[in-house]
Amino acid sequence: MSNGTAFSYGRMYFAPLGLAMLAFGCAQIILGVAGRTYTWGLMDLSGEFMLWRGVILFFAGFILLSSLKDFSNIHQQGKMVLANGMVWVIACMEIFAMIAESVPGGEDGGWFNTLDGFLGAYAGPYIPSLWLLPFSLVALHYIRLSRRGSNAVIP
Amino acid sequence: MKLTIDERWELIDRISRQTVAFGGYKHTLKDAIGDLTVKPLTGIPIALTVLYGFWSFFCSFAGFFTDGFMVKIFDDHWLPWLMEVFPDPDGWLFKIFVGEYGAESCFEAFGVLTSGLFVAVGVVLPAIVAFYLFLIVMEDTGYLPRLAVLIDTLLHKIGLHGFAVVPMILSLGCNVPGVTATRNLETEKQRFMMIALLSVFIPCGAQLGVMLELVPEYVGWIMIFLIMGMFVFGFILNKLIPGRAPEILMDVPPYRKPRWRNVGNKLWMRTSSFFTTAIPFVLLGVVLVNLMYLTGMMDRLATVFSPLLTGYFGVPEETVAPLVAGFLRKDLAIFQLASMEMTAGQLITSIVLISLYFPCIATFAMIIREGWSSGWKGVLKYLAGSLLVLGFVVFVWVGVLRIILMIMGVD
Repeated sequence: MSNGTAFSYGRMYFAPLGLAMLAFGCAQIILGVAGRTYTWGLMDLSGEFMLWRGVILFFAGFILLSSLKDFSNIHQQGKMVLANGMVWVIACMEIFAMIAESVPGGEDGGWFNTLDGFLGAYAGPYIPSLWLLPFSLVALHYIRLSRRGSNAVIP
Repeated sequence: MKLTIDERWELIDRISRQTVAFGGYKHTLKDAIGDLTVKPLTGIPIALTVLYGFWSFFCSFAGFFTDGFMVKIFDDHWLPWLMEVFPDPDGWLFKIFVGEYGAESCFEAFGVLTSGLFVAVGVVLPAIVAFYLFLIVMEDTGYLPRLAVLIDTLLHKIGLHGFAVVPMILSLGCNVPGVTATRNLETEKQRFMMIALLSVFIPCGAQLGVMLELVPEYVGWIMIFLIMGMFVFGFILNKLIPGRAPEILMDVPPYRKPRWRNVGNKLWMRTSSFFTTAIPFVLLGVVLVNLMYLTGMMDRLATVFSPLLTGYFGVPEETVAPLVAGFLRKDLAIFQLASMEMTAGQLITSIVLISLYFPCIATFAMIIREGWSSGWKGVLKYLAGSLLVLGFVVFVWVGVLRIILMIMGVD
């Protein structure tokens, strides 16, 4: 696939992803300000820092959408990488928190968790950034492309 | 041989033609990301994300060790064993070293070997490691100088510049290296302001760790209130103190992948200093507070300060004990506060009061040392100035807090 085609596909791919980030960000901000939570199936809009996460996700969506114009420009791709990176930070910290909670045995348990307790810590529901994480990993492909240097723009 | 200006330029051109290779520079993705992190429109959301990452990592890492293992080690094994083997539960030594006989947790016991060790090793150490680990990664990747550029405009409003972010962030770990790091500020005015502001308004990592463990629901609000105070009083100090606040040029390095060996070495260096500078003060603080209780001095102090504490600040008179302990270690003082019966409003006010009322003894010694570079006059200037700022801040800012809490209806 040529770079031109890759960038066209990239624009088509990241537009809905940016909108999804924006939407989830708005939802978390509204719920956070109202002091409410919402859980729907495996989707969890709650937690200690929901408002903070919402603000970050909102900006990530905004930055991602703003990167789509002239997407082949390296500076625009920088925005795309940063926007996805913001999702990675939230998601990775959530995964780290899950790991940190899953290992110890709890107040009344032993030193380490039981297998059921350990696995149970990873069962849903999950915050929006975790759902967005696999979709945002496509940005790695574009990082690889830019590393090859073929898409660099000389100012 | 004397050259004219034109001949000099000609010579320069000739040398540069022979030695410098000219060509186009391709901007890389790293360059683009570097630019975006210093532009306010993209840089501020990224700073918010980094701050979130830091806070989330700090909570999870410290929680994993403290709640997951340390509480169990100290409360289920260490405390019962000490209660059993330490002789004479009614004696002074027992009260000082083990604390309250029959206490069910190190949180309640308040002895040197129970609460003292638990605070230092069980609560503060994981918090300090988490803080420094994240800070070192930020330093080594090259994000910290970019944060300095980003915050430069804001800090100019209070007479400081972007590099002031370094002592500020270091102070979030420990105020002692924070005070030392003020040496990178240009003028005497900036150094004095930064030392006064950070020793009053920036809680250290140890204090943050204890606050997070005991009163997690209030930490965010308390931090916002303290940071607001720093800017309000920074603005006032900038207007009052004579001197210059010059512009600076910053060299921003490219982003780099941190070398884990360097990260490990730095982490060890910074954490090991915690063992020598912090732990002895925590243990000494517990001894001092216990001795004051046993001799009845604490009760007398509480009676003397009662009108000020209950009348003006609205906190119980027993807060005098954590205030005494806070002179040695703030984390120890917060730990003591949390075991007292108080309303939410009183707890928030007393935590802010402890944060503001006096720098811990290690920071105090550091301020004296920094002032000493200008001789006795310098010491007097730094100490008198800091204490004046401190006294003013404590009365004004804690008073403001009480009014805010009253308006919000927090009892």
